[in-house]
Amino acid sequence: MSASPGTRNPRDWKAILTRHEMLLLYVLIAEWLFFYFAGTTTNRRGVIVGFGTLDRQFDILRHSCEIGLLALALTPVIITAGIDLSVGSLLGLSAIIFGQLWHDAGLPIPLAVAFTLVLGALAGGLNALLITTLRLPPLIVTLGTYSLYRGLAEAITRGSVTYTNFPEGFLFVGQERWLGLPTQAWIFFAVAAAVWLLMHRTTFGRAFRAIGLSPEGARYAGLPVGRRVALVYVLAGLIAALAAIIYTARLGQAKADAGTGYELFAITAVVLGGTSIFGGTGSVHGTLLGVAAIAVLKNGLACLPVVMRMNAAEEMSGLLTGALLLLALTASVLPKILSNFRARHHAPAP
Amino acid sequence: MKKIHLHLCTAGAVLLASLVTATAADSKLVVAMLPKSKGNAYFISCKVGADKAAKELGIQLLFDGPTDSNAAKQNEIVENWVTLGVDVIAVAAENKEGISTALRKAQKAGIKVLTFDADAMTDARSFFVNQATPEGIGHGLMDEAARLTNSEGEFAMIVASLTAANQREWQKHIEGRLKEKYPQMKLVAVRPCDDLKDKAQSEATALISANPKLKLIMAICSPGVPGAAEAVKQAGLTGKVKVMGLGLPNENKRYVHAGVTDSIILWNTGDLGYLAIYAGVALAKDELKKGANTFKAGSLGTFTIAGDNILLGKPFIFNKANIDQFDF
Repeated sequence: MSASPGTRNPRDWKAILTRHEMLLLYVLIAEWLFFYFAGTTTNRRGVIVGFGTLDRQFDILRHSCEIGLLALALTPVIITAGIDLSVGSLLGLSAIIFGQLWHDAGLPIPLAVAFTLVLGALAGGLNALLITTLRLPPLIVTLGTYSLYRGLAEAITRGSVTYTNFPEGFLFVGQERWLGLPTQAWIFFAVAAAVWLLMHRTTFGRAFRAIGLSPEGARYAGLPVGRRVALVYVLAGLIAALAAIIYTARLGQAKADAGTGYELFAITAVVLGGTSIFGGTGSVHGTLLGVAAIAVLKNGLACLPVVMRMNAAEEMSGLLTGALLLLALTASVLPKILSNFRARHHAPAP
Repeated sequence: MKKIHLHLCTAGAVLLASLVTATAADSKLVVAMLPKSKGNAYFISCKVGADKAAKELGIQLLFDGPTDSNAAKQNEIVENWVTLGVDVIAVAAENKEGISTALRKAQKAGIKVLTFDADAMTDARSFFVNQATPEGIGHGLMDEAARLTNSEGEFAMIVASLTAANQREWQKHIEGRLKEKYPQMKLVAVRPCDDLKDKAQSEATALISANPKLKLIMAICSPGVPGAAEAVKQAGLTGKVKVMGLGLPNENKRYVHAGVTDSIILWNTGDLGYLAIYAGVALAKDELKKGANTFKAGSLGTFTIAGDNILLGKPFIFNKANIDQFDF
C-alpha cells in the first residue's frame, strides 16, 4: 500500500513478509497442513475420509459463505471505527421476509430475492440514519436493532412458522455445485471482489480509513463523513440480506432463528484479519484470511479422531478460535511493545 | 528460559505425535448419534442406553449435537459426518425439513440413516425409532389410573389445551380404553391448563372442591402433574386424591417422595437410545430391512415394527421405587 510499486529494496520485502496478513497466511497454511495429515483417514470400507477429501474442502467453503459475507460487510464498518451488531439478526429477519414473499405472497423467487435485498438495505439504512443524524454511538444503535430485527422475525412467525419446500432451482444455489465449486461460493467471491475494489481501489476506501482514524479530521478535509458512514451501514444491510438468501438455500428452510450469533463470528474473523477495532486500518484480504483460518480450524478439528472421540468438536473450536484471536492480537502489538522496551533500555542516563 | 522453550517444544511434539498416531484406521463400525441439543438431560439419558448398546455391539459411538437447539448446526454436524464416512447416522430432528436435506446427502453417500425421538421427512431416513404411539400413551395412562383406584370411582383430567392435536389424540385413546375396560370408573371433567403450572394448580383446586368424590387427577401435559400435586398437597388431601400423569421425572421427584404423586408416565429414554443404536447397527449390517415386522434388540428383546416405525412400545412408569435413577 505504502511502498511504491516497481522498485522494492530488501527492507520492503521483510516488511511485507512480516505483515499481519502474511503471518495469518502462514497460520492458515500450517493449520491446513496439520489437519491434512492428522485429520485424513481410511474408513473400514477402504475409502479415504476426513479433512483431505475434496468434499470436505467444499463443505468448508459452503459453511463459510454466510459468515464470510457478514465479515465482508463488517470490514468497512469497523474500518470507519463503527460496529454493526445487527447483521446476524437482520439475516434472520431477511430470511423470514424472503420466505413470506415467496410462500405467502406468491412472488417468483427472483422478485422475492430483489425485495429482500431492498429490505436489507433499508434495515441497514435505519442503522445509518440513527448513527449519522442523531450521532448515536454505533454500538448502542446496532445493539438496539440487534434485538429489534430478531424480535420482528420472531413476531412475524410467532416463533413457530418455518418456510420450506423451496423449488429445486433455488436450492441449487445453496446445495449444489456450479462450474466445479459450490454455487454460493461464486456469489461470495463476487462480493469479496467488489468490496475489495471498493476498499482498496476507490476513493471511498480511503475516505473510510480517514473517517476511522479521525472523523473530525476527515470532516475538515472536506469529506462528506455522514454520507460515507451511511454507505457502509446500508452496504452491511444489503450483504446481510444476501447472506440470508444463501443461508435459506443451503438449509432449504427459513426460520426466525437463522444466523443467531453470526455477528460475533464475523467480528472475530474481521479482527483476526488485522482490522483494528478502533478503526482506520484493515484490509479485505485480511478479513478473507481471517474467515478461512477460523473455518479451517473449526472443520479440521471435527476431523481429528481425538476430538471425535471426546465428542467435543464445537467446544474445542470455540476455545481454539478464542485462543487464536488473542494470540494474533498479542502478536500484532508485540513489536511495538518490544521497541518501546528497547528504547527505554537504550535511553541515555539523565 | 531456553530450557522452558525446549520443554514446550517436546510437549508440542508429543502432542502432535499422539494426534497423528491416533488416526490409525479403526476397523470398528462407526455410529453417529445426533441429539437436538447435547446438554439436555433428556438426551444425556438417551446416551446412557446408547453407550451400553455400543459396548455390547463393539462399535464406536459418536455423540455430538448443538449446544443449543440449532437447526443449522445440526445440518453442519451431519455434513461433517458424511465426509468423515461414518456408517450410520441416528438423528433426533430439531427441524424436520431442514435436517432432511443433509440426511438425503448422507444417504446418497451410502450412509444408513435413521431417526429417533423426533422424525425427519420419511424419504430422508429408513426407519424412525418411535418412542410413543398415541395409543401406547393413552392406554398406559388409563391402565395406571385404574390400577391406582382399583378400577372404580371418579377421576378428572388436566390437559394442555382442548385443541392441541397430540392432546386430543391421547385423550381419544384414554377415553376409548376407559369405555372398553373400566366401566366402574367415571371421567367427571377435562380442564385445560395452557401448559402452565399455576393454571394447572388453580384448575385442580377447582376440580377438588367441585367434585368431593374425586379419587384421582390425571394430567397429560408436563406442567400439569406438579401443578395438580401442589393443589392436592395444599388442600391436605395427600393420598385421598391421587395424582398421576405424563411428565418428566425431575419436575415430580419432590411430590413422588412426599407421597402426593403416585406415578409419572413417560418412555424409558435409556431404552430409546439403546434401541436406536441396535437398529442402526442392524441397518448397517443389512440385518434390518424395509418391510420387516419385528426387530430384536439385545437384552431388551423383540420390538414391533409398524410400517417404517420401530415402536419402543409400552410407556415406562416412574414411581417412588425407581424415580431417583433418572435425571431429566
